[in-house]
Amino acid sequence: MAVQELLNKFHDIAANPGKQMEAYLKAGKRVVLCAPVYTPEEIVHAMGAVPMGAWGADTELQLSKKYFPAFICSIMQSILELGIKGTYDGASAIIIPSLCDSLKCLGENWKYAVPDITFIPMVHPQNRAGEAGRAFTKAGYQRVIKTLEKLFATTYDDAALWGSIRIYNEHNAVMREVSALLAEHPEISACARSDIFKSAMFMLKEEHTALVKDLIEALKRSPAGETKVKVLISGIIADSHSLNSIFDDLGIQIVADDVAAQSRQYRTDAPEAETALDSLVLKFSGMGNCSLLFDVDKKRADLIVKTAQETGARGVIVILTKFCDPEEFDYVIIKSRCEEAGLPVTLVEVDRQMVNYEQARTIIETFKDMI
Amino acid sequence: MAEEVKPARPPADPNSAKYKLEQIVRKHYREVQEAKERGEKIGWCASNFPQEIFQTLGIKVCYPENQAAAIAARGGGQRLCEIAESEGYSNDICAYARISLAYSKVKEAPEQDMPLPDFVLCCNNICNCMIKWYENLAKTLNIPMIFIDIPFNPDYTVSDAQVEYVKAQFLDAIRQLEEITGKKWSEERFREVMAISNRTSRAWLEATSYCRYKPSPLNGFDLLNHMAVAVCARGTVEAAEAFETLVEEYKKAVAEGSSTFRGEQKHRIMFEGIACWPHLRTTFTALKNRGINMVATIYADAFGFIYDDFDGLIRAYCNVPNAINLELARDRRIKIAKDTGAEGILVHVNRSCKLWSGFMNEMSRQIGETCEIPVTSFDGDQADPRNFSAAQYETRVQALAEIMEANKGGI
Ligand code: SF4
Ligand code: SF4
Repeated sequence: MAVQELLNKFHDIAANPGKQMEAYLKAGKRVVLCAPVYTPEEIVHAMGAVPMGAWGADTELQLSKKYFPAFICSIMQSILELGIKGTYDGASAIIIPSLCDSLKCLGENWKYAVPDITFIPMVHPQNRAGEAGRAFTKAGYQRVIKTLEKLFATTYDDAALWGSIRIYNEHNAVMREVSALLAEHPEISACARSDIFKSAMFMLKEEHTALVKDLIEALKRSPAGETKVKVLISGIIADSHSLNSIFDDLGIQIVADDVAAQSRQYRTDAPEAETALDSLVLKFSGMGNCSLLFDVDKKRADLIVKTAQETGARGVIVILTKFCDPEEFDYVIIKSRCEEAGLPVTLVEVDRQMVNYEQARTIIETFKDMI
Repeated sequence: MAEEVKPARPPADPNSAKYKLEQIVRKHYREVQEAKERGEKIGWCASNFPQEIFQTLGIKVCYPENQAAAIAARGGGQRLCEIAESEGYSNDICAYARISLAYSKVKEAPEQDMPLPDFVLCCNNICNCMIKWYENLAKTLNIPMIFIDIPFNPDYTVSDAQVEYVKAQFLDAIRQLEEITGKKWSEERFREVMAISNRTSRAWLEATSYCRYKPSPLNGFDLLNHMAVAVCARGTVEAAEAFETLVEEYKKAVAEGSSTFRGEQKHRIMFEGIACWPHLRTTFTALKNRGINMVATIYADAFGFIYDDFDGLIRAYCNVPNAINLELARDRRIKIAKDTGAEGILVHVNRSCKLWSGFMNEMSRQIGETCEIPVTSFDGDQADPRNFSAAQYETRVQALAEIMEANKGGI
């Protein structure tokens, strides 16, 4: 398939999660929603269901207001809104981790706001690298497994999990590869780049891997377009079409990202271990460089600088989801670390209800002129 | 979560609980300062970090949350918040964190000074915001951070897996602190500290339970002041004795029918959330003028750590108010509301505290329904004076008073 044809496909999937879900349900599949940030999707996959990312949507908030005060981030608000509205109807369950305070509240509210879709909590440890942390992660996974076993009337099979882990590791690898390759292809728009990442949330990973592999092949055959201004973006989500259009209008290319809904998902693979579940535990204990994971050395800021330097990004744009306190705290450190390294950095605040992107455009335009 | 406000008036009778409690807070700050001056390593500590650890080791710490509350109550909240904002911190971040991070930069505040730390002790059983706040302190001050992760528990009871996880970190924290300070752990001293902490907690819980009397012998806002001691000195004999004195005073007041609440106590309410420290007088006066006394708060429970052994201690720290699920949080409040005969609930929707406010709507709805009492909320902030409207507060309190009045067959 030609590049454009593939990009159209990614776009179609990214823009129509409802259609995807309907198709899976029609095919007799079960769907389990996965809230941000690190749900053990492999477990859901191994138990025969489709894990679907639930990161909210750019939609007006009405019903969620009954539960959340206005100062909770729009990702949590809109997930709840969609849940109450019935957009997720048909899903068997939702796994909600509690890595930030707002996520904890989403889970608690969910039980009453959307009682028909089972809430499965996933409690991760923050001190995750040591033995005690690993044991606790395992207990958390076992709890998810137990709930799914009951819900689906099936039994968990470690061999099946190995199969899923392989699929996920391969998907991680192709996502890293495509991200690196996209850096060499400025002609691929920021909007298209976003679609490639976003579509992964609404597909079985083996299907997404196949599509991404096709894209990689097609890209390798196609000549690189004209150079644009290279930047690295960082934040929780960056899937807004209006926002990405600004980059495209201004001739800015995203050469790398530190976005929770994008590359942060694909940095860590599940390694070899005695059992598949242990392998998954090791995957989580090896994760880092994220505002939601305890990181006293703020290695995340170093990684941002290093990645920017390696990819030739001339500046860092932090896309801050309004009311996201983990990111708000990290921003101060990222800013000073970038400045230390002589790397220009700017902040654009966004939320999922934003209609007017004029201010964002001005900030990005000024930033482009500066770098 | 924890806070303290010291009245500017000179202390009264040295035998009174009030005097003793004030002295404990003063002594607490003085001792940390002196330890620092002696060259000892001192820490900053999260309000619900297991104090048994450093009490046993004989390490002095102070509490940024108490300091932030004191600064806010004495009018410095906005100034410090703005300093943090000029550093790049969003004004949506918890105001305690903003005040503390600003203080760590400017290193002085006439409202409440505190020596700078050589390490920080973090525990996120009250919120995950704490992790980020302490990470940034540790990073910018270039000091170690000891972190006991006590995750929010979505279940009604604490699992064995959680106990094991927390226990291992507890032991690890001891090891790290021994290394940093050179002090040595003593099992015998640990047992002593546990016994004293239990004694203090029991006395604190008993004192707060006097709210159940009609009329209540205490003005509920008193508790907000005394709580600082429950936070910073729980493991000391002086604190145990001061709370025991408080119990005696309340006992006597009940017998005499007197109260520290001045005026008639027409209505009894549960106050939900942290106080609005910058507007304490406004918030209190609006209640007092209508004869409304606060007789119930989950805060009273928050620092009553009762346990029998090490496992029990760990479970107690896993069970603090902000670490528990909606159902357990709800049931505890229902019990308090019923025990104290609360006739209404006034909810502080605290702009600073996402966790406390994030499922409060649903929870207070359920409490109101179960107890058949009205629930009213107002918007505020525990330390940033800009996020509060006196007019809105007045209107809401008035509305609550009217419903409570009507429920009594009045008006
Ligand atoms: S990490 Fe930030 S964006 Fe994500 S749920 Fe928490 S507050 Fe919202
Ligand atoms: S976020 Fe809430 S619980 Fe955490 S420190 Fe601030 S006020 Fe306290």
